[in-house]
Amino acid sequence: MTTQKSNYNEDVITVLLVDDHPMVQSGLSACLSYYPDVKVIGNVNDGQFALEKALELQPDVILMDISMPTLNGIDATEIITEQLESSKVLIFSMHNSLEFVTSAIQAGASGYILKDTSSEEVYYAIKAVASGKKYYSSSITQMLIENPVKQHTGKLTTREQLVLSHIAKGLSSKEIAKELAISFRTVEAHRRNIKSKLKIDTLAELIRYAVNYGLVEN
Amino acid sequence: MFFPKRLFIIAIIQVLLTCFVIFLFVSQEYRELSEQSLETLEEFLIEQKKQELVNYTTLAVSTIIPIYKNKKIPLAQAKQQVAHTIDNMLYSGEDGYFFAYDHKGNGISHPKEPFRVGKNWWELKDINGERIIQNLIANAQKGGDFYRYTWFKPSANKPLDKLGYSVYLKDWNWMLGTGVYLDDVNNKLNKLQQSIDSHIYKTQKLILFIAILSILILFIFGLLVNLSQKKKTDKKINELSQRVIDMQEEERRRISRELHDGIVQTLVSIKYSLEATGLFLTQTKQDKPQPLIDAESSLGGAIKEIRRISHHLHPRILDELGLSSALENLAVEFYERTNIEVIVTKPAVRKLLSDEINTTLYRVVQESLTNIEKHSRATQVKICITTGKDGLTLTIKDNGIGFNTKVEAKKKTCGIGLRNLAERVLYHRGNFDCTSSNKGTKIIVKIPKSHFNSQKSQTADSNKAIKRDKA
Repeated sequence: MTTQKSNYNEDVITVLLVDDHPMVQSGLSACLSYYPDVKVIGNVNDGQFALEKALELQPDVILMDISMPTLNGIDATEIITEQLESSKVLIFSMHNSLEFVTSAIQAGASGYILKDTSSEEVYYAIKAVASGKKYYSSSITQMLIENPVKQHTGKLTTREQLVLSHIAKGLSSKEIAKELAISFRTVEAHRRNIKSKLKIDTLAELIRYAVNYGLVEN
Repeated sequence: MFFPKRLFIIAIIQVLLTCFVIFLFVSQEYRELSEQSLETLEEFLIEQKKQELVNYTTLAVSTIIPIYKNKKIPLAQAKQQVAHTIDNMLYSGEDGYFFAYDHKGNGISHPKEPFRVGKNWWELKDINGERIIQNLIANAQKGGDFYRYTWFKPSANKPLDKLGYSVYLKDWNWMLGTGVYLDDVNNKLNKLQQSIDSHIYKTQKLILFIAILSILILFIFGLLVNLSQKKKTDKKINELSQRVIDMQEEERRRISRELHDGIVQTLVSIKYSLEATGLFLTQTKQDKPQPLIDAESSLGGAIKEIRRISHHLHPRILDELGLSSALENLAVEFYERTNIEVIVTKPAVRKLLSDEINTTLYRVVQESLTNIEKHSRATQVKICITTGKDGLTLTIKDNGIGFNTKVEAKKKTCGIGLRNLAERVLYHRGNFDCTSSNKGTKIIVKIPKSHFNSQKSQTADSNKAIKRDKA
């Protein structure tokens, strides 16, 4: 809602920088300060604090690094997008391999730009993502064209894997929602995703799968 | 510690020396003992013979006394009768007889050698040059004594060692003698000597046997000690080398991280500072100076280069996204470089393994792909990760020309990388298997379930994050 408003009213786009390197943060902030319609409203240096700050500041765009000390950007993205639908996450990383990109997309990121892109492109990316579009660096776009991401096949996200381990422990969706501090609906959505990704229908099979892969101890 | 070769040789020499010395002592002792007992026996036997001779002679003298002392019989007739009696007094078969000579050595009676009667044998010598008759007469005149000499033995038909005893008939100046041959004594002694010799020979063999046995035992013991020591040292060496690799990997990971998270980030920040400068100039309606443009582009190059080095040292994707993603990435890189298709099959879950195992498995795949690229002429590689009850299985299969695993193992050429990896997998208590045929090569690595990451800790971490979020 905010994004649309800011777009139409030419409001300032608020940005939260999540990067564990202060010099990168300040350098990028300095660049972005030359663009009047973008404002950096916060700096966080780890995925763990990102959600906290995001909930507090409700930024339009979160510029998210991937490699960070405790909680990495992809896992943080998943948790944030789960809880904050208004904020878009734009991955801003050094990693240019397909696996990172697909993982980020599966985690709910709206865009993926590389750290060696120019500040101008960063600016455009922020604007694009804020307006509800997807944005990828050109090399990444190329990769995605060659290997399209299939949302409902392949790997579980970290969050889904966590939900699966809770399911296998015998927790109900309600209990999981309470445990992970997310809505019942989200848990149910995860449950559906897990089942479709693993091509499993029954709870018993889910539990067996989790045990088989060591997600829970016997 | 090895059982040193030098020590082993010293031990063998020691055994040999000991056996030799024991042998010398024992045989010496034996010989001395046997000589003593032989002497005793000889003395005893000869004493027996002497007793016999005295007895026989006493008997003979008492037989002839009635005639010898009878003054009624004329002397010549008496002498003839006595000579006749002596001729007939035989004992012990053929070889026991009496003989008589007068004091001048003239033969009077000799039943076995009648040609001696009536002739003078005063100067008769045996093979040793002894004057036999003279000595016998001298002994007899002394009152009877023994005398050893060589004389013809009737039953053996040759001259043999003989013990003689002679007494003197004073009235007639006759010497009466008899003797026993000592060859049976010698035979007995010889037999005894032989049995003693064979005994010594037996002892000799026994000692030799013991020596060989000791050396053998020593050898086997040494071999066993060596083997077990070798096993131990091999294990230690292997452990050590694996720990070196551990440290190497850790170091590479650290340097890679340092490059990626430190220097590259600094360079990126510099890049944005330069860009900010450019933006500032643009805002103040000035052109970007050429050196600034150059700096931006060379900075971009430096960032790329350092990232390449960092990735080469340790792929960050392994830590961030886990093994299957890293393998997927590796597959893409490999395809771009070699045009060999790589199909990765992986489970939907991730981050099951510890960092060390992840790295090891990643290196296994990396090395296998290098081998495939260099030698296999394959067109397709299948990498498959599955999990079952026992744990995780990584399979790498190509459709290349394969290689002879045994020959390669012997030649230690292309297999050395794989062998190191096999050792690495074994170090992580995994299982490594490589089979190859002309249809391709298949490598299977198994990691037991006990090495899976405990999901608990991960969950706890994530939960902590969320709890913090809530707080």
